[in-house]
Amino acid sequence: MFVIPIYIEAGISGFESPAAEYTELGISIDELIIKHPNATFIGLASGQSMQDVGIFDGDLLVVDRAEDVSSGDVVVASYNGSFVCKIIDKTNRLLISASKSYKSVYVSPEDDFKLEGVVTTSIRLHKNKIELSRCLPS
Amino acid sequence: MFALVDAVAFYASAEKVFDPSIRSKPVVVLTNNDGCICAICPIARKLNIPKFQPYFKIKNYLEQHHVVVRSSNYELYADLSERMMTVINRFCDDHYVYSIDESFLRFTGFSKIINDWADYGHIIRRAVWRETGLPVGAGFGTTPTLAKAANHAAKKLSGYNGVAVINDEKSRKEILMRMDVTDVWGIGSRLGKKLKLMQINTAWDLACQNPKAMRRMFSVVVERTVSELNGIACLSWDEVKQDKKEIYSTRSFGERVTDLTTLKSALVTHAAIVGRKLRRQKSLTKRIVIFAASSPHEEEHYKKSLLYEFPIPTSDTSVIAKAVSAVIDEIYKPNTRFYRCGIGAIELESESFQQADMFSVSEDKPKMMKCLDTINKRYGVGTLSIGSEKLTQTWNMKRAFLSPHYTTRWTDIPIIKCD
Repeated sequence: MFVIPIYIEAGISGFESPAAEYTELGISIDELIIKHPNATFIGLASGQSMQDVGIFDGDLLVVDRAEDVSSGDVVVASYNGSFVCKIIDKTNRLLISASKSYKSVYVSPEDDFKLEGVVTTSIRLHKNKIELSRCLPS
Repeated sequence: MFALVDAVAFYASAEKVFDPSIRSKPVVVLTNNDGCICAICPIARKLNIPKFQPYFKIKNYLEQHHVVVRSSNYELYADLSERMMTVINRFCDDHYVYSIDESFLRFTGFSKIINDWADYGHIIRRAVWRETGLPVGAGFGTTPTLAKAANHAAKKLSGYNGVAVINDEKSRKEILMRMDVTDVWGIGSRLGKKLKLMQINTAWDLACQNPKAMRRMFSVVVERTVSELNGIACLSWDEVKQDKKEIYSTRSFGERVTDLTTLKSALVTHAAIVGRKLRRQKSLTKRIVIFAASSPHEEEHYKKSLLYEFPIPTSDTSVIAKAVSAVIDEIYKPNTRFYRCGIGAIELESESFQQADMFSVSEDKPKMMKCLDTINKRYGVGTLSIGSEKLTQTWNMKRAFLSPHYTTRWTDIPIIKCD
């Protein structure tokens, strides 16, 4: 079922609001964190290896494909059939985890590898969202 | 200069954007209700999988070769299409979205800034690839028909790598000579057969014909095609952008339908789709075909198609739905396992050139339709619908191999591993 919100307006016109001329659009999170809407997608982080840069299991990752990638960036890449989130070291062809207990991965030419984009923002939801619960890893 | 930019095997490529596990595998996409194969990725193309074959006929072959099969994920394709078109739009101020994955560009006054069109094509390709993950081909030509031919060369002929330009005699001859005549824009397979009987086999053969003779033998359309292939622009930009001359809505059922109520409900839904499309391009229809059929693989194949003529041309969903009610008893046959049905608006007229009829009054309620369209546009198709559409819902689409709606549903966003 869809609820269609319709606001009631009274047909009485009194003094015009003195603030009417100063109206601005409300602030929007999208506007702040999505620079290239056509090149941006949102994914769900799964795993602990990026905790030291503040990306926890179940966080949302905002991934921008149009952003230039430099070494040291937190990126999303496709690596042998899955999306992974790592810190990139372009010179040494390494995918580095933020947490020390995870080993770095060397990307060899035989690997199926493609840089997908830069993680420009990560979002932690402090209250569970039902919408997302289905894709949390079981 | 014109350009046609379109995606390589769009549906199949779209499936690969958010599923890296299938990127290096052969992928095919099935049509509505998983009936036929409608898109084949380049890797699968090497296996010689025929397009538009019924899925069940080549199911075994696909399994043998470990081909990944997907149902049409329109929610995903629509979103990716919009992203792709927005990126392409950046490269030209005159941009026309021709279909879900094709886009025409017209460059006026660009000659001073762009001297290498192939280079510009590669810039467009790289931008779309990087920002959306979709591979596109770009064809440039001095007429829309040549742009379409160059696009064909860019994607299908060896040595072009996704971009081709027809801007002089040499490039024109080279590409047209390597193109089958049926690959020319506007030359269908039936017309192609006739042309081949006359030894017109390639696009170049067609370009060498006398346009006037082609007009006498075939039609003014073929005459224009010949001229366009010779670099003489005949199709005006508005004709490229022309409204559709026929509007069909047809679909096969997820499961066979045997009862009248379900069949009617399905037909009324098609009436709503046709009505919506008519209103969107500001057309009215004078005649519609209403049809239903059992599967051709059924022992007693049943097919019934009726022509319905409106006293006054219409685009009103409820008027078209009434036509369905009027003929449903003639179309329905008990104990028949209906496999597909649909409605086609075949004689379209422009809404703005209507002659009033002295003796009959139009039943159309434009205000109500506008209200319906506005609400459905804002809250999603199907928010408001004709009552009889909703009598049963069992005829809904079967999509057994559907991938997640990665970009349009929170439950479906891709998983990114951090381990």
